[in-house]
Amino acid sequence: MSRDNACRRVERFPLIAGMESQQVTTSMALATHFIRRELRNRYLGSLSGGLWALLQPLAQLAIYGFVWAYVFKMRLPGGDASPAAVVPFLALGVWPWNAFAESISRSATVIQENAGLIGKVALPRSVLVIATTSSSFLLHGVGFCAILTVLSLLGMPIALIKLPLALLAFAMLYVLALGFAFLFAAVQVFVRDLSQVLAQIMPLWMFVSPVLYSREFLPQAYRGWLDFNPFTFYPEFFRALLLGLGTVEPFVIFRTLMIAVAACALGYAVFQRLDSRFEDFL
Amino acid sequence: MNAVAGDNLLVEARDLGKSYPKVFRPRDRLRALGKLLLGRNDIDSVAVLRDVNLSVRRGESLGLIGENGAGKSTLLKLLTGVLTPTSGSVAVRGRVGALLELGAGFNPEYSGRENIAMSAALYGLNGDEMRNKLPEIIAFADIGRYIDEPVKHYSSGMVVRLGFAIVAALKPDLLITDEVLAVGDESFQKKCIRWMEEFLDAGGTLILVSHSMYHIQKLCRQALWLREGAVAAAGDVFEVTQAYLAYHERKLAGAVQPISLAAAQGLEFHLLGFAVNGIAQEMPVFVDAGSSLRLRVRVHSRDGRVPVIGIGIARADGTPLYGLTTEIDGVQPREDGEKAYVAEIEFQNLALLPGAYTLKAHAADTEGVRLFDTLERGAVVRGKTREFGLIRLQHLWRDVESLPVPIRSSASER
Repeated sequence: MSRDNACRRVERFPLIAGMESQQVTTSMALATHFIRRELRNRYLGSLSGGLWALLQPLAQLAIYGFVWAYVFKMRLPGGDASPAAVVPFLALGVWPWNAFAESISRSATVIQENAGLIGKVALPRSVLVIATTSSSFLLHGVGFCAILTVLSLLGMPIALIKLPLALLAFAMLYVLALGFAFLFAAVQVFVRDLSQVLAQIMPLWMFVSPVLYSREFLPQAYRGWLDFNPFTFYPEFFRALLLGLGTVEPFVIFRTLMIAVAACALGYAVFQRLDSRFEDFL
Repeated sequence: MNAVAGDNLLVEARDLGKSYPKVFRPRDRLRALGKLLLGRNDIDSVAVLRDVNLSVRRGESLGLIGENGAGKSTLLKLLTGVLTPTSGSVAVRGRVGALLELGAGFNPEYSGRENIAMSAALYGLNGDEMRNKLPEIIAFADIGRYIDEPVKHYSSGMVVRLGFAIVAALKPDLLITDEVLAVGDESFQKKCIRWMEEFLDAGGTLILVSHSMYHIQKLCRQALWLREGAVAAAGDVFEVTQAYLAYHERKLAGAVQPISLAAAQGLEFHLLGFAVNGIAQEMPVFVDAGSSLRLRVRVHSRDGRVPVIGIGIARADGTPLYGLTTEIDGVQPREDGEKAYVAEIEFQNLALLPGAYTLKAHAADTEGVRLFDTLERGAVVRGKTREFGLIRLQHLWRDVESLPVPIRSSASER
């Protein structure tokens, strides 16, 4: 980006033809290493290991299912009126949201937390953000597939055949999350209040997104507001695709893709601009 | 990329500078963030490194010396790419192995084996290359069963062993290492030194920071002395290290700090220059014992009155040896430009014995009563002699005979 021309990063790799591809390979190897490390770190020392990744959202789903279906007596609009039908509906909101929210809040502090590493070892810092976001999405992506398969086996009307398409949308969500992750990770280095603010904002964000409800539950006048929320598309798309609830216009898919790519590019641009000054402010 | 010209230049730094921002309050951080986002770089900052120029060719070995806080580690971090320069440019080519701080890049929770994998990934090694090198690394580190224990259980010596073993296995073109070897035990230090010597013999390039002049002189042919973030001297390792040691002797002796230029310029008389044997830069001068020493002093006189110039020679620890003024010898400085006066004194057949000395120039008023300004310059007298003391006194032996075989001829050489 428009970094001061006089300041140039050290060439850490041989200045031979194909240098860039070598840098990319190195970054990829590093990212893989950090993702593995991140996944292991999270479950290091816990008895059941990676099982927590599945158990925690399952428990969350059970609680939401109980409260929404039996306490609040929520029924799906138009479709199946049984309380059990609420469960896959909620699952398609909860898993994508968990992946999105967790990756953003974890990434926000990743640069700050790795200050020791950054101050001593030359590494492309973006790898840290990519690894954190990727590991959240990997975990919750696997959980997403697993829970849908289980629910389908239990006889829920889930169009599993369209799961690959759903994963494509999941990848779009990943790109969007990466944009926010880059932005927040960079800003957190300078403004330490950000992670505190995020902890307050993320639950709020969840409730202004159709994670635990659908658009139809809102008064007519407010339904349009949901379109300003970049997360709205995802639960709505998954429910339309896999449960046949509602429809999503192709134009909306395209717009969402553009938003995700733009967010990622913008977040990365900010990150790149601040990158060279991280060590001064850590 | 254009900064590296020629095949053999591995490191080139030009006008390299690093400043750290002054941020005390959270508000400053927010302001800095805003400025950076707008692409402005005018953040209030403190310079820790200024205008460093250096180049290292393939096969060279450079020792970095300087006091604590002189900017040595900052320079190394700039060279390895951990830090981004604030000004100037730096280019490094080839595979760089860096051993900067104790346990840099190690995760204390992981075992030695896992940390090797981590470091390998940081150096861009893929899984296969890493597996091939693993036995070699473990053998070199030689820390036994600790290789499978978390690094947090290691002694600092073991951390260094592991770090060095990883770097050694990488076969870097350029090895950059900070004062970490000092932590290892005697046998490991020797092993490292031996490895470095073999590495240098095989055409490797080394940049070493050490406070041990012995290690620097043993391993390096060039040296660079950093003082307060700027290059104080650079060149042949022996000359630079001797000058550095001389500086320390002077410092221990509590030598007076010269007044800053700005303050001096307001004075009635101030020194414009002090050249030793024609060298005007403020870096220690090397003089051969018995040769001649020429000191040339220029003084600015605010009111155009003729100054008295004083010259002093002291041992590096401050002991005065000899001093005189133009007025004592009944001469006066010659006019040299507007309101400027110059005088040069020559000490022939320099009687100083080899060692470090401080040369002083003083500017005093016309009456030679009030002293206005002082400049000091370090000088190292070189020579081979076994005489004792500071000064060679003129002498003559009587009632003696020559030794049948002259054991040494050093005294008669001069």
